[in-house]
Amino acid sequence: MKKTEAITTVVDDAAGVSAGSSWRRRLSFQNISAIYLFILVFVIFSILVPGTFLTPGTWLGIFDAESLTVMAAIAVMIPLVAGVFNLAIGAEIAWAVMLVAVLQARWNVPFWIAILVTLACGALIGLISGLIITKLRIDSFIATLGMSSILLAAKWFISDNRQITGLDDGFREVARAGVTLAYNDQGNPTFKITLPVIVMIVVAFIVWYVLERIPAGRRMYAIGYNADGARLSGVKVQKIQIGTLMAGGVIAALAGVLLASKLNSGDPTVGPSMLLPALTAVFLGSTQFKGGRFNVWGTVLALYVLAVGIKGLQLLGASGWVEDLFYGVALIGAVALSRWEPTAKRLGAVKRATTFRWIRSEKPESAEESSTPSEPKA
Amino acid sequence: MTTEQPATPDGVRAGATLLDIQGLTKDFPGNRALDDVSLELRSGEIVAVVGHNGSGKSTLVKILAGVYTSDGGTVALRQDDPEAPTEIHIIHQDLGLASELNAIENISIPKYQGASAWVPFSGRRERDAAARLISRFGSPFDVTVPVGTLAPAQRSIIAIARALDGWKHPRNILILDEPTEALHASEVAVLFEAVKKLAADGAGVIFISHRLDEVVELADRIVVLRDGRKVADESSEGIDHDTLVSYVTGVAAGEAETGRAARATGEVVLDIENLTGADIEGIDLTIRAGEVVGVAGVLGSGREALPALVFGSIDASADRFELAGEPYLRRSPSESIRRGIGFVPGDRAKLGSVRPLTARENVTLPDLESLTSGVAGISARRERREVAGLIAKYEVRPPRQEQVFAQFSGGNQQKLVFAKWLRNDPKLLLLEEPTQGVDIGAKQALYGAIDDAAAAGAGVLVCSSEAKELVRLCDRVLVLRGGRVAAELAGGRLTETQLVKEGYGLADEGAQ
Repeated sequence: MKKTEAITTVVDDAAGVSAGSSWRRRLSFQNISAIYLFILVFVIFSILVPGTFLTPGTWLGIFDAESLTVMAAIAVMIPLVAGVFNLAIGAEIAWAVMLVAVLQARWNVPFWIAILVTLACGALIGLISGLIITKLRIDSFIATLGMSSILLAAKWFISDNRQITGLDDGFREVARAGVTLAYNDQGNPTFKITLPVIVMIVVAFIVWYVLERIPAGRRMYAIGYNADGARLSGVKVQKIQIGTLMAGGVIAALAGVLLASKLNSGDPTVGPSMLLPALTAVFLGSTQFKGGRFNVWGTVLALYVLAVGIKGLQLLGASGWVEDLFYGVALIGAVALSRWEPTAKRLGAVKRATTFRWIRSEKPESAEESSTPSEPKA
Repeated sequence: MTTEQPATPDGVRAGATLLDIQGLTKDFPGNRALDDVSLELRSGEIVAVVGHNGSGKSTLVKILAGVYTSDGGTVALRQDDPEAPTEIHIIHQDLGLASELNAIENISIPKYQGASAWVPFSGRRERDAAARLISRFGSPFDVTVPVGTLAPAQRSIIAIARALDGWKHPRNILILDEPTEALHASEVAVLFEAVKKLAADGAGVIFISHRLDEVVELADRIVVLRDGRKVADESSEGIDHDTLVSYVTGVAAGEAETGRAARATGEVVLDIENLTGADIEGIDLTIRAGEVVGVAGVLGSGREALPALVFGSIDASADRFELAGEPYLRRSPSESIRRGIGFVPGDRAKLGSVRPLTARENVTLPDLESLTSGVAGISARRERREVAGLIAKYEVRPPRQEQVFAQFSGGNQQKLVFAKWLRNDPKLLLLEEPTQGVDIGAKQALYGAIDDAAAAGAGVLVCSSEAKELVRLCDRVLVLRGGRVAAELAGGRLTETQLVKEGYGLADEGAQ
């Protein structure tokens, strides 16, 4: 009995300490390492290339250009929260770019109908991937890898893999629309928040709301951590997993539509290259703010930090390959960072997601429990 | 059964001591798992170690396997011949076979390790060696098909053959940990034949089991563990079932320790006719509001499948299934929860919780709707207040709802699982091993919670491998054997002794 009391006291003390130092924890390197990283990157490039790095044009450019990659990252993240990989995100965007262009240029569909059809198609692709994963019980890694290839083939089929031009005049204005906040002396906009940025922020906010505020989001996290346990708590695992893929599909299609509008053409080369930055941002983002959980603001922040780093290197005169190298290193680094978590609090969303099912040990959780004092049966 | 030492073929001194355990002790925080246990194993001898769950059997095996280190006592192996040291081989309950590989490959797995990994092997020689090994233990079978397609007893024999492969001399020790759990009676006979042959060659065999009837048949000597202590070490000759049961339970035969006073019960909550699925082969079950019905039975009797079948997490069929008077034949976990069923699964880590989520998130997961209002989503304040109330009510330590579930101790985890299901006053509460892996204090608290739930009008189904627990909690207990109800005990007949007897099929008078 005495022993129990002693333990309780210690724990209460610990609670008091952690409450007192909650700000320190919140500002700790571990919690918001990306922000410190950002400051570091900012200072370095401000010193090295002050003339180009510190202009508003550079920053607005990054903000606008990367908003679509942010949407791709969010589209990857949503199913990943529920334990489902979507490696087809790049191909889904590529397909949407081509579909929205072909609908207008070849079949003379008004651009806003073309947009709606493309978004609906994004949902449909998510539905099909979801059914393959849940009903055929194919690992999401494999299913979406296959889906990715199928979509690239479909894209080629409808476009002959050629640049599609001659889109609606109104369509090119979509990505150029926006809110101008400042003009220069000649009356030209100098500070303009473009529609892609606004859409990205709205999407991020909605996804944040779903994940944090409504039951569906809570259930998604539960599935991602323990699908069997979630099912026995009444969570409809398959329905929710399909739903996440559909939501991700619509967001990917939206990114594709905006990308086509920005390019004012159906470009057969864009899309697939967005997968790696998106995945990197999602994993790096999971190490931010929420103690190891995939989360929207961490993802957004991580992506922009990476983009600013790359921009700085490019301004320094690095060649084109620096982007691929940077994202590759960052992806591995981000996953390593999130797996090497000293606290059990960050028990692995990423660990779980990045361990292939077929090499995962039989009972990682219970094996861990066997080392806890409670294990021997009373 | 004979206790005389059989002569070993290669002229080794019969009956030499192979293993000598003296005063073995193992402490876990708040719990002494093994307390001064001594055990001697001789060449050619089969010693059965029996006892309830938690009696210390597994701890003993794990110390011998090197998984745990002991806190006191010595384990000595035969020293007389340094050229041929005695080895300990352990066959665990799950056998550790790769089910997609065939018998030859499974037997060879240990050989593929080390320097010889790059040396090509002769397929035919290997196949003949495997077939020869296996034929030592009864009728041969096809060694080239995946072992997953073989009968359970044949798989056990492959595991034994693998343990034996490469023995330089027969005077080794083989430990079988609950080897008969998955076997039918006829298969048990095949396995026993193999084990006896092995002992006749001079090996020492330790046979861990909780099937008392088998043990008497097979073993030369029976060691009974209870609460970590050795309470009996006797020749199996002349030991009778009653004595054995009283050793295992700690209650002298004839001494009655009856069930609790009957509770006031109400309407029928659950009414099932001919429930079939998984290990269950046709069970009728009726539970009234306020009634606590227990389910006993050895592993594989259907005991551990029943709650999942009722809850709908495993497919099952039934001629009739009524919940609170309404038919409910197409079941699913989400629909069961909506209708007021709560389910505490036996595997807390894998099924009962989402370990990386916080205590708060775990407790509210089954019912988030009641905390949600319109576009505002989940009301964080209402959720925190409700969980804080439950944490206080069930005395969860530390009382921190933002702590990750995995960081609580076993007992407090289970309290949280209870809080999660008792939060909405279920009509029917299904409990599987409700106090597994919890400390004694938490156990009493959980018993109190179950009593309260019944008093509040829930019908409760408790499936447990602990006879004492069922006697403490239940109004009546169904004893399952082979997927059917073998007996129903209530009132004066609901005693630990009777439960153990019925569970093992040792009852003298034909109950029911």
